[in-house]
Amino acid sequence: MPMNAPFLRSGPRAASMAAWTLCALLVPCTAYSAIYHSPFVFKLLGYALAGSFAETLFALAVQRRRKLVCSGSALTAALLAASAPPATPFLPMLFAILVAVWGARLPWRGAALRFNAAMAGRFFLMLAYPAAVVAWGTAAPDTISTATPQELYRTDGFMLDWHTVLFGRVGGSWEGLYTLVPGSPGETWPLATLLLGGLLCRAGIVPWRTPLAFLLSFGIATACLGNNPLFNLFSAATVFTAVFIVTDPVSTPMGKGGQVAFGIVVGAANALIRNYTYYTEAVVYAVLLGNLLAPWLDHAAFALRGRQLGRRRPEQ
Amino acid sequence: MLRKIKIDWAGLARIQPLEHPFPPPERIFPGIDEIDPQRFPDFLDEIGLVGMGGGGFPASQKLRAAAGAHTLVVNGIECEPGLTIDQSVLLHESLWVAAGAVAAAKAVGATRMVLAVKKDSTLLAELALRYGEFEIVAFSDRYPAGAEKLILEKLEGRRPPPGVRPYQLGYLVQNAVSLRAIGRALIDGIPVVERPLTLAMPSAGFHRNIIVPVGIEIRQVLEAYRLPYDPCIHFLAASGLMMGHEADPETAVEKTTLALLVLPRDAAWREERPCIRCGACNTACPLGLHPYALVERIRKGRTGGDPFRMQMTECFLCGVCSAVCPSDIPLVQQLERGKQCL
Ligand code: SF4
Ligand code: SF4
Repeated sequence: MPMNAPFLRSGPRAASMAAWTLCALLVPCTAYSAIYHSPFVFKLLGYALAGSFAETLFALAVQRRRKLVCSGSALTAALLAASAPPATPFLPMLFAILVAVWGARLPWRGAALRFNAAMAGRFFLMLAYPAAVVAWGTAAPDTISTATPQELYRTDGFMLDWHTVLFGRVGGSWEGLYTLVPGSPGETWPLATLLLGGLLCRAGIVPWRTPLAFLLSFGIATACLGNNPLFNLFSAATVFTAVFIVTDPVSTPMGKGGQVAFGIVVGAANALIRNYTYYTEAVVYAVLLGNLLAPWLDHAAFALRGRQLGRRRPEQ
Repeated sequence: MLRKIKIDWAGLARIQPLEHPFPPPERIFPGIDEIDPQRFPDFLDEIGLVGMGGGGFPASQKLRAAAGAHTLVVNGIECEPGLTIDQSVLLHESLWVAAGAVAAAKAVGATRMVLAVKKDSTLLAELALRYGEFEIVAFSDRYPAGAEKLILEKLEGRRPPPGVRPYQLGYLVQNAVSLRAIGRALIDGIPVVERPLTLAMPSAGFHRNIIVPVGIEIRQVLEAYRLPYDPCIHFLAASGLMMGHEADPETAVEKTTLALLVLPRDAAWREERPCIRCGACNTACPLGLHPYALVERIRKGRTGGDPFRMQMTECFLCGVCSAVCPSDIPLVQQLERGKQCL
């Protein structure tokens, strides 16, 4: 078997990319578990294992191949778990993971149109178990619990102190009436998540154009709609989405221009949906919409590059 | 377990001597008295010169096509990462290189001579002493800076259109080693019977620039330096890490062999996995092409269409896309096939 050039390689390998992203995701989740004394991070690991196992079963049944460690599916499951309320019961979550891995991730392999598997699972969760998705925290009377302070901001113009938003230490009470408890674990630490995202970009594991375009477009769109862009950027799932969701390679465009366009579309759609509708989970719709556009963006970028090259050719 | 092939880049910045482990060739060629544009290409054929930057294209044809060019570019940028042979030749055999360059410039009628080298302050200072009559232009030392297309982009200020050769724009780009061969024939009357090359074994920390006779068995070269080459754990890459190929030690050193590299087998082993559409290939391509989209079309046989043909013409098979692909897809091999569909 002759060796094929190039013999030199650079950058990360596919198998380790998902594993590193998973590690990055574990950081805020572990911090969440440690500070709020919740067993969440163990649950997360369990779900990740379940996702990996689901892929193993799929590989055995469909491809007749033995595959033990499936970091990609583990990451999908973990992202799904981290974006849902920590109190989501086991069965709905398991079903959502199976839908994500068996329905949205594996059968589409190699196709041009792909949906972000974690978001597809989340979508399923919202359709099938709407009650579970909004069950943030405890059910004590007079408790307002949302994923982030986002909903309060929408309905009551409520704003938290900056340091609570940035460092994710949401707690205490509001105007002596409401107890605030922290929400979705993956989304609680925007600053740390942003930092981790930067590290992942540096390592070449995630692209930087998509998240940057997403954050900018979201910030600008929010400002245009008359909301506070900084507060919106650092609350809700925005940073989490930027670092972990829109950087998913399979469902986003491949080219540089396509990635920027994708980020802009998803960011703007997210801001619009958030502003004009009562869907609190705007990100899910925005990302799925972007995924629908991705193959077309790729195609357009390819044709555009060809046209540019053609224009440089002298007329002879 | 995959490991990257380590290259000691820091060590390569050092200017290395040029060694002659084999006895020098005999003078057999009478030399010429005057450079006549009509007869000079024939002279190149007589000495057997082919493009020694790895192309292997007969130099006489290139020179004939470039007749009337206004600029001669001496390409002293290494064609491959990790090699230092061009810069060694420029430094240690400047007389031959300069003589060859002047002769080639005269033959095509070029009035401007440019020396393209990589950005390195020590190297530039040394070269300024030796090549006073040349305009020295420094290029990035990142692969693939040595490609003709990218050299022209810098000199012209814009990238040449796809499929346009340098001579159509009035440039003759010649590799430093080719010019050395011309100079050697002019001054010493020795035809192209030597090949300067980089001999390296990164795992043993061995890296030399040597001159070997063309046609010698690769095995003999390895034995001359007693390299611990073991076919079970090592393989031999001829001509470089990016565009080279695996070579058999029983075969001979050719005129186009830029380098002989002894590399560990397990580090270069690649197993193809499905594309994860990460876009690393797009981002890395120095020409901004869409390698995977091209490969998808080649595999499906959809090779019509202007965007495809333009991009395929533009691609110069540098192999960067393959090197960065996290799924180890042999993109550049597919692109080579695609070139044939044009
Ligand atoms: S080989 Fe790949 S990286 Fe190099 S020019 Fe062609 S498409 Fe671009
Ligand atoms: S670098 Fe490899 S895996 Fe990534 S998009 Fe290109 S071909 Fe696919």
